[in-house]
Amino acid sequence: MNQNKFIQLITNALTDFKKSKVRTILTSLGIMIGVLSVVLLIALGLGLKNYLSAQFESLGANIVIILPGNVFNKEAGPGGNFGRGFAGGAHFDEKDYLALKKIPEADYVVPGFTKSGVTIEYRKAKRLGTIMGTNTQAPKLFNFKIESGKFFTESDIDRRSKKVALGWDLANNLFADRPETALNKTIKAGDERLQVIGVIEKRGDPEIDQGVFIPYTTTFGSLNPDKTFFNFALGTIDKENVEALKTAAKATLLKRYDDEDFTVTEQTEILSTVNQVFTIVNAILVAIGSISLIVGGIGIMNIMYAAVTERTKEVGIRRAIGATQKDILWQFLTEALVLSFLGGLVGLLLAGAIVLIVRNFFPAEINLVAVLIALSVSSGIGIFFGVFPANRAAKLPPIEAIRYE
Amino acid sequence: MRQPIIELSKVSKTYYLGETKVKAVDNVSLKIMPNEYLSILGSSGSGKSTLMYLIGLLESATFGKIYLNGQDISRMSDDKLSSLRNQTIGFVFQSFNLLNKLTVLENVMLPAAYLKSKANFDVKAKTMDLLNRFGLKDRQNFYPNKISGGQQQRVAIARALILNPKIILADEPTGNLDSRTGPEILKLIEDLRREFKTTIVMVTHEKDIAKRAQKRVYIKDGRVVKKYL
Repeated sequence: MNQNKFIQLITNALTDFKKSKVRTILTSLGIMIGVLSVVLLIALGLGLKNYLSAQFESLGANIVIILPGNVFNKEAGPGGNFGRGFAGGAHFDEKDYLALKKIPEADYVVPGFTKSGVTIEYRKAKRLGTIMGTNTQAPKLFNFKIESGKFFTESDIDRRSKKVALGWDLANNLFADRPETALNKTIKAGDERLQVIGVIEKRGDPEIDQGVFIPYTTTFGSLNPDKTFFNFALGTIDKENVEALKTAAKATLLKRYDDEDFTVTEQTEILSTVNQVFTIVNAILVAIGSISLIVGGIGIMNIMYAAVTERTKEVGIRRAIGATQKDILWQFLTEALVLSFLGGLVGLLLAGAIVLIVRNFFPAEINLVAVLIALSVSSGIGIFFGVFPANRAAKLPPIEAIRYE
Repeated sequence: MRQPIIELSKVSKTYYLGETKVKAVDNVSLKIMPNEYLSILGSSGSGKSTLMYLIGLLESATFGKIYLNGQDISRMSDDKLSSLRNQTIGFVFQSFNLLNKLTVLENVMLPAAYLKSKANFDVKAKTMDLLNRFGLKDRQNFYPNKISGGQQQRVAIARALILNPKIILADEPTGNLDSRTGPEILKLIEDLRREFKTTIVMVTHEKDIAKRAQKRVYIKDGRVVKKYL
């Protein structure tokens, strides 16, 4: 079949659709919803994955992370017992912090107390932020700069002073797009009144950009009554020392905890685990979305069967004036193909629009692969489910078809 | 002696209607010569239409052979038969059988869409020529259900003629037309035969119409009972 003939077939199909718009829309609705859900699920899954990867990548190199629970439990599969870490793993405290500080290879030891979703107020402005209880080494280890003002000092830690540095987004939102005006203002976080002494440059990492960096000792009150840390980040200047640092950190913590209660890892390991988990999650999401694609395909098949019966006479007339079985097959197949392709295209555009909206509050990304897969799968489904009715049309005996009323 | 354009040799066609075996055409032998005007006369259910569809390559014979220009059509593929219907045969039906979703112009041009190679003439120009001649020029962008029966049948005849067929097969072409339009259509078909040297096979149940042909075959219960030559 040559190109002109194919274009002619598509034009004919479109002309036919124009004459039965409602049915055309209803028929391709199934495919549209299928493609919409698949693309949307991929977009959300991918967005989340990239978001988390970016979080880990924004950390500097040579960093060893200590987390509660056994993240890399092989028996539990990728992801391990990460969840158990929150529920039943070690609750690190200041004792651990002091013990870790004694490791000779540890040039940096940064404790992390994280409390997200805390309402931060400045006068009438209210924003959700993340309390980050940490020490003075955090900016250097995590590689972020103070844009205006300064970070808190060792003596702030000793005196448990209520001085904080704000992430750029939070400062920007609380202080009406003028983050630099935040300096020396007093904000409220829960019951605590805190003085802003610095604003951190924009990092593109929501946790830092929405962060309220506070001396960890200061959190040991209403914010962190249990006086625990969620994690520790250890850093070494010399890359050669990473392994030794890991071994030493592990030995230190084993004095207090079981092997199962904590994990000592490098950020690259965490990254690959996150990637693994999300590859699986994405695959499951796509599989769920695909069910609706198949249902959509069956819808097309159903309508095409009805169309073949309804158009039996037309098939007969076309056969009488010289259409071959192949001509009829292609005619119906093209219609199914165009229907599902158009449905897919509309679904894709809708998904794109939704992603643009969702992006404001949830990481979501549409990538070219998802687009190509969506369009080729929807066309493929059109062909697959269109073949049966088209074949039936092609095999109609011409004489019976032309006599059909 | 000249070769018949169509030859039926002991052709039978049986159907099954449920369990019942129906012999629609029974042992018919017939020769149709080029440029001949043949009518097949018979009452309803006599098998005359089936006979026409056998001649028109829309049906295959249960027994016997059908030759088109001396070639046995039972050995031909669907593609070949379709191509012969496309270029050698033009059908005119009682109920016109136009596609209502296509305009008059598109209906007439439709057979050209199934040509396997490009037509060696300007299809659009020929279509306009035929429409002009049949008084349908101002109806070219109408849909068939918006024009009269006589006009529809003229469109169907134009469609049958578009690829210069050798044979026109007309199945009760005046059956759905009034007493004034019917004869007009017959005259049109007969004029075309003289002008284009086409062979005409016309199926009818009306003796008066059948008599207009040079050759008549009377069919009853699937058998040829009389030939008027």
